[in-house]
Amino acid sequence: MLKDITLGQYFPVKSFMHALDPRMKLLLTLLYVVALFLVSDFWGFLVAAFLIGLVASFSKISLKVVFRGLKPLVFIIMFTAFFNVLYGGGEPLFPQIEWLSWIKTDGVKNAAFMIIRIILLILGTSYLTYTTSPVMLTDALERLMRPLKIFRFPVHELAMMMTIALRFIPTLIDETDKIINAQKARGADFETGNIIRRAKALIPILIPLLVSAFHRAEELADAMECRCYHGGAGRTRYKIYSLGWRDWVALGAMVLSFAAIIMLRIY
Amino acid sequence: MSTIIEVSNLSFSYPTEEGKAAHRVLHDIDLKIEEGEFVAILGHNGCGKSTLAKHFNGILKADRGSVHVLGMDAGDEENLLEIRRNVGMVFQNPDNQIIATVVDEDVAFALENLGIPHDEMARRVDEALELVGLSEYRQRAPHMLSGGQKQRVAIAGILAMRPKCIILDEPTAMLDPKGRKEVMKTILRLNREEHITVVLITHYMDEAVQADRVIVMAEGEMILDDTPREVFQNVGLLHSLSLDVPQTAELMFALRQEDIKVPISVLNVDECVAEIEKLLGGGEND
Ligand SMILES: Nc1ncnc2c1ncn2[C@@H]1O[C@H](COP(=O)(O)OP(=O)(O)OP(=O)(O)O)[C@@H](O)[C@H]1O
Ligand SMILES: [Mg+2]
Repeated sequence: MLKDITLGQYFPVKSFMHALDPRMKLLLTLLYVVALFLVSDFWGFLVAAFLIGLVASFSKISLKVVFRGLKPLVFIIMFTAFFNVLYGGGEPLFPQIEWLSWIKTDGVKNAAFMIIRIILLILGTSYLTYTTSPVMLTDALERLMRPLKIFRFPVHELAMMMTIALRFIPTLIDETDKIINAQKARGADFETGNIIRRAKALIPILIPLLVSAFHRAEELADAMECRCYHGGAGRTRYKIYSLGWRDWVALGAMVLSFAAIIMLRIY
Repeated sequence: MSTIIEVSNLSFSYPTEEGKAAHRVLHDIDLKIEEGEFVAILGHNGCGKSTLAKHFNGILKADRGSVHVLGMDAGDEENLLEIRRNVGMVFQNPDNQIIATVVDEDVAFALENLGIPHDEMARRVDEALELVGLSEYRQRAPHMLSGGQKQRVAIAGILAMRPKCIILDEPTAMLDPKGRKEVMKTILRLNREEHITVVLITHYMDEAVQADRVIVMAEGEMILDDTPREVFQNVGLLHSLSLDVPQTAELMFALRQEDIKVPISVLNVDECVAEIEKLLGGGEND
C-alpha cells in the first residue's frame, strides 16, 4: 500500500530530455524559475508555456500525466487565489451587481497571474524530476555546488546523505509494509477509530522501524569503512558527465526565451 | 608464502555504560592466517566471531595485544586505508552494504574512495562483475535483484579493490538454498582460481568442510584450529558447544556409539558411502 506513494517520481524512458546532462537540466530549471518570476504580462506567460510545450513533446511524457500531479494542489492554489482577489485593489469588476463589489479588477488579474505562475512552476520542476533519476539529480547538485566548498559548505557530505537516503527509501518502505502486516496478523487495527486512536496504532509500527533503521545505519557505516570511505577528500568519480549537442541546443532555446521574457518586461 | 593476518594476544571488550563492568568478548587470541588459505570460523551465537573479524581490517581496535595485516599494525590510523584495500569484508545482510542505486556504481564505490582514475576504475568494475558472474546486471537496480545476486554485488564491490584477502561474515545466512549455492561457488572460485585468501564465518557445516582449515570459537576463545577432517572428529565437543557437525560425521559418530567400527574422519558423502559398503561387504564375507 505504501508503494503507491512515489517521491519525486522518475519515468525511465529514452528521450531527448532524459539524455540531457543533469547539470544542464538543473541549470535550465533554475533559469526557468527565475524567468517565471520576471514575467509581468500575459505574453511572457505565453513564452513560458511554449517552453513547457517543447519540453513535453521532447520528453515522451504527456502533459496529461503531469497535470494529474497537480490535482492534490488544486485546493491550495484556489485558496491563495481567493485571498489575492479579496485583498486586490482597482475598480470593481461588476459595478452593477452590489454583492460582488469586492471583486476588483487588479485582484482578479493578480489571482489569475498567480495561478498561471504556480502551475507553470510546478510543471517545469515536475519535468525535471520526471526526466532525471534522483541519483543523477543529487550528483548534479553536488557538482554544481562544488564552488561552495570554499566557504566550508559540506557539499560532499550533503550529497552523500541524499544518495543514501534515496537508496534506502525502497528498503524502508518494504520493511514498513512487512511490519504493518506482522502487526495486523497479531490483530492490530489501523483502519477504525478516531484520529487519536489511529495515531496510537502507529506506535507499534514506528518503533520497530526506528530500531531497525538504526541497526541498518550501524552496519552501513561499517560496510562503508570497509570500502575505504573516508570523506570527500581525494575521491574520484565513476560516472562522468559531458555536455553534448543536445545540451547546447536546450541552453540556446532557454536563453532565447529568457531574452524574450526580459524584452517583454522592458517594453 | 607470506602471512596476511597475524593476531597476537588479542583481548577486546565493547565499551559499556558507566558503572557497569566491561564484558570481555575476546580473550587472548593468537592466530595467523597465511596467504592463499581458506579458513572457516565456527562458533555459537554471540561467541565473538564477528568481533574478531572486525579486528582483521581495523574496524575495531584491540584493547590488548596486537593485529598486524601484511606486516602493518592495524592499531595505527595511518595504515588503515592500506589495510582495508587489502583485506575486504562482506557482511550478512546485503541490503545494508549496498550504497548506490545502480549495480556498477555500487561496485565502483570503493574505487571512488581510493581515488582511482576513471579509466582504470571502469576496467576494474568490469573485471569484478565478471568474476562474480554479474556482467549482464551492471545497469540494474540492486534492490530488484535476488538475495544471492545482491550478495555477489557486495562481493564484487570488495573485489574491485583487488584485495589479497576477503572476510565474509555469514554471507549466506539470509539467502535461500539457491542463493547460498551461488555465493559459495563464487567464494570457492575466488580462493582456488584467483588465489585470494578467504576467511568465512558460517553456521553451515557443509560450507565449513570446504575450507582448508576450521577454527572453532567459544566464549571469545579459540577452542580448535585444524583441518576440517580433524576438527569434525570432535563430534562430542562440538555438540556440547551446541554446534552441528556435517551429516556424514554425525552418521559415523552414531555408528561408533553402536560399537560399529568405522573411521571417524569421514567428510564427504562419497567417502561415507565407501566406508558403509566396506562394512556391509565385510558382513557378507562372514
Ligand atoms: N556493538 C556492540 N556493542 C556491545 N556489545 C556487542 C556489540 N556487538 C556485539 N556485542 C556483544 O559481543 C558479543 C559477541 O558478539 P559477536 O557479534 O561478535 O558474536 P558472533 O559470534 O558474531 O555471533 P553471531 O553468530 O550471532 O553473529 C555478544 O555477547 C554481543 O552481545
Ligand atoms: Mg556475527
